[in-house]
Amino acid sequence: MKKLMNKPSGFVDEMLEGLVAANPSLALGGETGRVVHRAAATREGKVGVVSGGGSGHLPLFTGYVGEGLLDACSIGNVFEGPTVGSCMEAIRIADGGKGVLRLYGNYGGDRMNFDMAGEMLEDDGIRTTTVLGNDDVASASPQERHKRRGVAGIIYAYKTAGALAETGADLDAVTAIARKTVDRTRTIGVALSPCQVPGSDKPSFTLGENEIEMGMGIHGEPGIWRDQLRQADAIADEMIERLLADMPEGAGKTASILVNSLGATPLEELFILYRRARAKLEAAGITIVRPLVGHYATSMEMAGASLSLCFVDDEIEALLAAPARCPFWTVTA
Amino acid sequence: MSITVSTIASAVARVHEAMGPLEQVLNDADAKLGDGDTGGMLARVIGKMAEVDLSAAAEPGVALTQLARAATVATGSSLGTLLATGLLAAGREAKGRQTIAAGELSGLVATARDAMIARGGASLGDKTVLDSLDAIAGALQGAETSQDAAKTAATAAAEALDAFRGKPNRIGRARMFGDQTIGHDDPGMLAIKALSAAIAA
Repeated sequence: MKKLMNKPSGFVDEMLEGLVAANPSLALGGETGRVVHRAAATREGKVGVVSGGGSGHLPLFTGYVGEGLLDACSIGNVFEGPTVGSCMEAIRIADGGKGVLRLYGNYGGDRMNFDMAGEMLEDDGIRTTTVLGNDDVASASPQERHKRRGVAGIIYAYKTAGALAETGADLDAVTAIARKTVDRTRTIGVALSPCQVPGSDKPSFTLGENEIEMGMGIHGEPGIWRDQLRQADAIADEMIERLLADMPEGAGKTASILVNSLGATPLEELFILYRRARAKLEAAGITIVRPLVGHYATSMEMAGASLSLCFVDDEIEALLAAPARCPFWTVTA
Repeated sequence: MSITVSTIASAVARVHEAMGPLEQVLNDADAKLGDGDTGGMLARVIGKMAEVDLSAAAEPGVALTQLARAATVATGSSLGTLLATGLLAAGREAKGRQTIAAGELSGLVATARDAMIARGGASLGDKTVLDSLDAIAGALQGAETSQDAAKTAATAAAEALDAFRGKPNRIGRARMFGDQTIGHDDPGMLAIKALSAAIAA
């Protein structure tokens, strides 16, 4: 697979160097050089919101550092968890004396590292809480929701937790809104072609020339079925049906929808999906607010898309509307 | 003879030296079950540990904690974090003592093993480093000198590797290969065998 890169070993660090050089609102920090944080100093008295995860998913996770969103984010190698050291640094940088929410995807390695980072910082007197994104409906049954992986839908929790933290709310309140947002968000993906980790000599999975896989994860984790490509409307219909079959408890009739490219799929195709998904939701009596269409959580050059629904209530809707600014997502009042 | 900070420093130096030729062997073992990076990852972790100046550490517990912190900066991999977890737990238990008697090593290894089980969620019998540590903790009971302990640990790690070769991996990425893992050495267990042999040599 062709990639614009130098040495594979420099892939992540050179990407980060360019990311912060192109975006003066971001800065690289920590002894590990694997923490992206706001260039502006941490505000005393504000609850910190940090995330972290492997590289290869931009704008997720690193790209959401900014006002009204994340304070800092630790970054691992491509498709690898961030080091415990970088998780500790991100938490320290984000700490304004009121505690720090760790908000990241439900992956075993990331969990181990963030847990350990929190324990090692206990001696420093930094209070931390945890909320795990687990929106991927294809990764476990509703009865085993705690086993589900976190994918694109976590950005809704970034937005609500980040917005509430800016108002001066305390750690418990920021944690609670993140949890409520995660609980009300569902995602499903479909993959059309694979991606390849830099330096690896083969793609992370293979798909036949005309094959797609419904429900595949963002690292190529096995999905629900694999079959011939079909028309966009049929794919959108099935994805929406699967999401509606998994409606969160307490969900009303209002939702935000995110139609996300997994990397190589162009905006044109996303809008074709969006058009049908919207019609399908309206037919089900659901009102759409604040739709998002674009590249929000990717797997490098993987082709495919994911659909996320966040079933909002008044509180979540207001926080989604609050001002926010990061290089990849701006909300103006 | 008991274990001091300098005993620990010399063990790290031996392990570091042994890691050179071992890196590719472990990568190859891992490529059969995972993504082929166990050797490179361990080389990074142990390299970082070897950079730590332990001479300033007041006692063995502090030295173990410093080694754990070095490991946490070097990798985000599960095995690396588990090793750091084990070192940190053993360091906490040894805190406040100038030396560690050889007879106490069994308990420290057991503490590390239990902390790693709690952190990673694997169980004994899953064919992981935990099974190697469990065998070592058992064999070290009643060890009288540090030389004895090193030899006993190396033998136990080798026996554990042999005993588990014919069993399937039950956790992690290797688990997805199911019965195809039978007959293969778990890369983490292989590393413990080779590195404990290096300490005993």
